[in-house]
Amino acid sequence: MDPLLLARLQFATTTSIHFLFVVVTLGLVTLLVGLQTAGFVTGKPVYERLTRFWGQLYVINYVLGIATGIVMEFQFGLNWSGLSRYVGNVFGAPLAIETLVAFFLESTFLGMWIFGWHRLRRGVHLALLWGVALTAYASAFWIMVANAWLQHPVGYEVRDGVAHLTDFGALLTNPTLGFAFGHVVSAALVTGGMLMAAVSAWHLIRRTPDFALFRKSLRLGLITAALAVTTLQGFGFAQFAPVGELQPTKFGGGADRDALVADWTARFGPGDYTPPVLSNVGLGFMIMIGFTLGCVWFLLPLLWRDWLIRLKFPLWLVLLAVPLPFVAVILGWIAREVGRQPWVAYGLLPTGQAVSPVSPGLMLTSLIGFSLLLGTLAVTNWVLLARHAARGAHDPALGRPPAPDTDHHPHPVFA
Amino acid sequence: MELAWYALLGLFFATYLVLGGYDYGVGLLLARGATPQARRAALNAVGPFFLGNEVWLVAAVGILFGAFPALEGELLSGSYPAVLGALFGVVLVTAGVQLRGRPRSAAARAGWDRVVVAGSVLAALGWGALLGALLQGVPPSGDGHGAGAGHLFTPFVAAAALALLALVAVHGATFLTLRLPAADVPSVARLARGLVPAALTAVATVAVLGLLSDRVRAAVARPAVAVLLPLALVAALLVARAALRRGRAGVAFAATSVALALPVPLVGAALWPRVLVATADPGASLTVADAAASGPTLALLGWLALPLVPALLGFQAMCWWVFRGRTDGRAPVYW
Ligand code: HDD
Ligand code: HEM
Ligand code: HEM
Repeated sequence: MDPLLLARLQFATTTSIHFLFVVVTLGLVTLLVGLQTAGFVTGKPVYERLTRFWGQLYVINYVLGIATGIVMEFQFGLNWSGLSRYVGNVFGAPLAIETLVAFFLESTFLGMWIFGWHRLRRGVHLALLWGVALTAYASAFWIMVANAWLQHPVGYEVRDGVAHLTDFGALLTNPTLGFAFGHVVSAALVTGGMLMAAVSAWHLIRRTPDFALFRKSLRLGLITAALAVTTLQGFGFAQFAPVGELQPTKFGGGADRDALVADWTARFGPGDYTPPVLSNVGLGFMIMIGFTLGCVWFLLPLLWRDWLIRLKFPLWLVLLAVPLPFVAVILGWIAREVGRQPWVAYGLLPTGQAVSPVSPGLMLTSLIGFSLLLGTLAVTNWVLLARHAARGAHDPALGRPPAPDTDHHPHPVFA
Repeated sequence: MELAWYALLGLFFATYLVLGGYDYGVGLLLARGATPQARRAALNAVGPFFLGNEVWLVAAVGILFGAFPALEGELLSGSYPAVLGALFGVVLVTAGVQLRGRPRSAAARAGWDRVVVAGSVLAALGWGALLGALLQGVPPSGDGHGAGAGHLFTPFVAAAALALLALVAVHGATFLTLRLPAADVPSVARLARGLVPAALTAVATVAVLGLLSDRVRAAVARPAVAVLLPLALVAALLVARAALRRGRAGVAFAATSVALALPVPLVGAALWPRVLVATADPGASLTVADAAASGPTLALLGWLALPLVPALLGFQAMCWWVFRGRTDGRAPVYW
């Protein structure tokens, strides 16, 4: 088997799983910041309960974000050593910044937040969550800087066959960065909002206790999703102009494409410089999903006098819509990533040159091993998430007050 | 400039071995067949630090990629099986520790505990093998016939892997003597002391096999360092044993921490100025300077690291300070 194909498959599998989790992380943490801040400011207990319930789901989801993220990070070195050899001087910088600025602090803060309930002062505890959220956004930003550079390399010069950094500012003003970052963040907010609304809808349909609590999170989720879906659509359409101009091979035909392909053929030799058809198939579906999700705006008037809850069928609609954003994000990434083939760094480094000289056997072991491992963990994680979501906000383990009596229980008593 | 970055890389990886090391050590000890309560108490002793420990690895690899891109690709792809094993282990431990508390049934929790044990074993073996592989030299990966497998399977690398496993076990047990409620300490302290001879034997085996191996002798540029630092490691283990006997948990933990950190400076200094030694063709070796990113990249990252690293250390220190002391019935329980 071709190591290149195996490496690509492995990258596609692990990133897709990674993204299905981090998109939720990024969306939920924003909503959690709102909830905990509201609790801090108003002092109403319902916000603390909401924070504990959604926080618990957030933390369960986070586990797979870390597990898959670590695999992603190593994969660059394991399977794509050519990437670090030829473009590491430039591409490595945003990734290094990401780990130091974002991940390091994010995890440190999150650990303290999880265990800091009833131990830290409330202000400090809230500040920690703000820290988690800001660093999560920072991590999304820097990873998008790195990805935008692969889409459209800028701010470098090639000496001795290796790219060297000349202008870091150009990486930050990359025309493939801004709209994409806005689009990704909006996608995360739509996903987080829809998930929150759907779980709440389920509880309201089942008429579980805590009507007031789930009514509140239904509203919060829906309003967030509605606002974000609008910016999502805006950033989405806005992307076509810069991406279409800078990557003429991505969205199909035209004179620009032919000129570029002729140029590449002259510089890199003859080859197939058009992306696989797969890349654009999903784009249309994503846009359809985008418009379908845009219909949440029609649900907002029903929030008046709780018609949404009384009529019940809109709750079902919200519940059924949950898979849509997840499908859309994967389709979007496939359009972006497969659409730039056959380049790792567009017009600079062909994908085939980036792959490590590792034997196909090893690569296959790694592909099968990680796909099974991460796939199993992902499914397990979703099952756990669903169970915890169904269990309700009665007494989440997160933020449970400590046992009042210390003497008779040398070990904590467990649920 | 390269030296400073190399030192920083070493600092992050060594700190990961110290902090992640006790996570894995505690994970290993779950295999002891203790009661569910005792297992949960052990994991909650790690509790608040767990997430902050693992990111040292993430950051070390970030530094590796940013500051030493050439090394990143060669090292990871050139030691494929070792890295794969370590990575599997890290993923299993991460998921196991954080998810074990979510199901309600005791059987499911016991299942996750087995995942944690397996992950801890793999992680320790994998990192040990990687360090061993560095010391015995790696064939250059540009030679066309798929680097990354055969050269790893030597007695020296196997011994290095086992030695790290033993060190991690001692370190984990010692960490528990520092964190568990005072009533539970004597039994873990006994366990930790009992594990020290195993670790000493493992370290001695690595030393002997290293002396016997042509490849290791050829790769090591500074024999003095390669002799002195292992001796320091042995000394640290002996100090830990003595401190455990006297009930000085803090001193013992400091000593086992030193023991876990030492392999990193050992590898770095013994090979210096090279990082990846091509034993077949010394000319093809990768030196630290070759491996480093070019000037502008290092300068950019340097300006960033200057204010950032103290901040990172500060927030980690805050975490250790807030959650210092022994756990008790009132400590927050989450995993
Ligand atoms: C909730 C998920 C979601 C939804 C509903 C949409 N998108 Fe999207 N889209 C993404 C989530 C996403 C994404 C996964 O986040 C991507 C992948 C890379 C990126 O920047 O965002 C993406 C990529 C992406 C690209 C590819 C950019 C490139 O190749 O560089 C385009 C052109 C669009 N989107 C346009 C749209 C339009 C016009 C939408 C309809 C209104 C739309 N997207 C809805
Ligand atoms: C998390 C969302 C992402 C998803 C779902 C995703 C998806 C994919 C897919 C499907 C491929 C395979 C394309 C092919 O080979 O035909 C791929 C390749 C790749 N992606 Fe991404 N990607 C994501 C984000 C990123 C980011 C942020 C970066 C850079 C920092 C990146 C870097 C790469 C690299 C280096 C490859 C391998 C080389 C190649 O095939 O072009 N990806 N990705
Ligand atoms: C393909 C390139 C990518 C790599 C190498 C990568 C790497 C990582 C790593 C190592 C972690 C774990 C950090 C920790 O231990 O806390 C992580 C988590 C995370 N990643 Fe990625 N990532 C990639 C793509 C993305 C994308 C495209 C996004 C968002 C736009 C993203 C957002 C996040 C966030 C928010 C986290 C925090 C943990 C979580 O949310 O669960 N990542 N990533």
